Amino acid sequence: MAEELKYEWNFAFRLDHWVRVSAIAILVFTGFYIHWPFFGGGPDSFLMAWMRFFHFVSAYALVLGLIVRAYLAFNSAFDRDWKDFGIFRNLRDLPDIIGYYLFIKGTHKDYRKYNPLQAFAYLFIGLLIIFTAFTGAAIYNGKAFGVLNTAESFMWVNTLLGGESYTRIWHFLSMWVIIIFVGVHVYMSILQTAVGKDRTFTSILTGYKLKKKTP
Amino acid sequence: MEKKDGVGKQFLEALEFQGIKRRDFLKFCGATAAFLGLSDLYIPKIARAIEKASKRQPVVWLNFASDSGCTESLIKATYPNAAEIVLDILSVDYNETIMAAAGKQAEEILEKSKKDGGYILIIEGGIPTKKGHGMISGKEMIDILKDFSGPAVAILAVGSCATFGGVPSAKPNPSEIVGVTEALKRVGVNKPVINLDLCPVNVEYLIGVVVNYLLLGKLPELDSFGRPKMFYGQCIHDNCERRAHFDAGRFVEQFGSNEEALGYCLYKMGCKGPMTYSACPKILYNDRISWCIKAGAPFIGCAEHGWPDKFAGFYERLPDVKIPGIAGVEATADKIGAIAGVATAAGIAVHAIATAASGRAKGEKKGGEE
Repeated sequence: MAEELKYEWNFAFRLDHWVRVSAIAILVFTGFYIHWPFFGGGPDSFLMAWMRFFHFVSAYALVLGLIVRAYLAFNSAFDRDWKDFGIFRNLRDLPDIIGYYLFIKGTHKDYRKYNPLQAFAYLFIGLLIIFTAFTGAAIYNGKAFGVLNTAESFMWVNTLLGGESYTRIWHFLSMWVIIIFVGVHVYMSILQTAVGKDRTFTSILTGYKLKKKTP
Repeated sequence: MEKKDGVGKQFLEALEFQGIKRRDFLKFCGATAAFLGLSDLYIPKIARAIEKASKRQPVVWLNFASDSGCTESLIKATYPNAAEIVLDILSVDYNETIMAAAGKQAEEILEKSKKDGGYILIIEGGIPTKKGHGMISGKEMIDILKDFSGPAVAILAVGSCATFGGVPSAKPNPSEIVGVTEALKRVGVNKPVINLDLCPVNVEYLIGVVVNYLLLGKLPELDSFGRPKMFYGQCIHDNCERRAHFDAGRFVEQFGSNEEALGYCLYKMGCKGPMTYSACPKILYNDRISWCIKAGAPFIGCAEHGWPDKFAGFYERLPDVKIPGIAGVEATADKIGAIAGVATAAGIAVHAIATAASGRAKGEKKGGEE
């Protein structure tokens, strides 16, 4: 059984991934600070203002990163993977992969790039990021992308969720879901690396996975 | 001089008689122009509009379920202030709390106003929708509202009770109190209501809307909650005098502390300024002397829809979250997040242990993507 390298992620996918990772990391940290300022600024500081600044800049990065990912799914020169997210096909195969992860089955089917659980998780997290962006815009009082007056344009979000204080809670809770996603996502990649011995964990840096070749 | 501002001599004499000098009157007109966002060219127009109104703009002020705090806010003035000037001029035909007439006499005045029509209807207090829970001289409050909304030229709901129910509509709300807009919808009256939220209403807002109506003959531009954009268009937080402390990350952690004495930001004490839209920091209360944050209290969000339920507790950063489906369980957003986070970590740990126990990581062929 020979093994060879498989080029899984090209540079665009990897860069986009890490843009979103850093954006989420900054957003979570500054978000916690804005939610509850856990250390104070000195006499001449501008601490909260900077926290907010980085929060908003990272929010743009995350939203744009997501848009780029959606674009790559449909129009990447390397791998147009939008078909991997097909809901009905993935629903059909969901019992297979869940059975595997719950130790009911010993093996699972061979999936192309994403298994059904992954595809659903990524689709969900994409929608969740959109939701977080909308709730964030609704509680933000500025001009999105320099043109869109957020307080007015996203008033409907507040009306839908029952007022701005509730929008804040939704925004905060969706952050927790993202944190949980990141935790599970990292665990899963470590798990796959340990079980499959295919270098999944480092592939998002190097771009290469080990492909087991059946002779 | 008289020609320049165009206000008639007779009217000025009438004001003089009430102890208001022409100069003070024009100063008031100037201030009104300023907070309506109009240029000073409008000052004579405002003066003329008020003069015109002095002859024919009646106002009916109805009190429903409330503590009359808005009336208090209106009449607690140290000297003949803007509110008194305008409302004297406007001929307030009926206001239960402050009118001299009582009983049958008062009811007669009210009936006459209704017959004449063309009044500005100002409503203070929420409307009980449960039968028998709110009645004045044998009539249901909601029926009185219905009767008087018809002939009115404009309906102003003043104070949080009248706009969306406010304090009397807070949980458990035994009288099923609703705001004016909702009450009118229920009795099938389709008329725009101007909501002047705040608890109590800021009299300057009330005057602003009334003068705006007299001057331009139309209602001001409203936001999606029916509040005039000119007063409810900007976030409190953005105009707060303590904003610099917020941006610097300087916060009050405890009442009675040194930070509080220094006037740091009240964000951590539960200030709802960042989610409340009102011009309070600019226009202030009580003859423009002070407002809650200037007095050292966190803003409680009284200018917003859903207050107070959606903004309680007043001294907490985010209100309690009700978990749907689990009756009686309330937890703060922080706790929910932390619990969910810990549960996930535990789930991951259990799965990792199970993986190790199953020996999957050791075997080559047992699983994993190929």
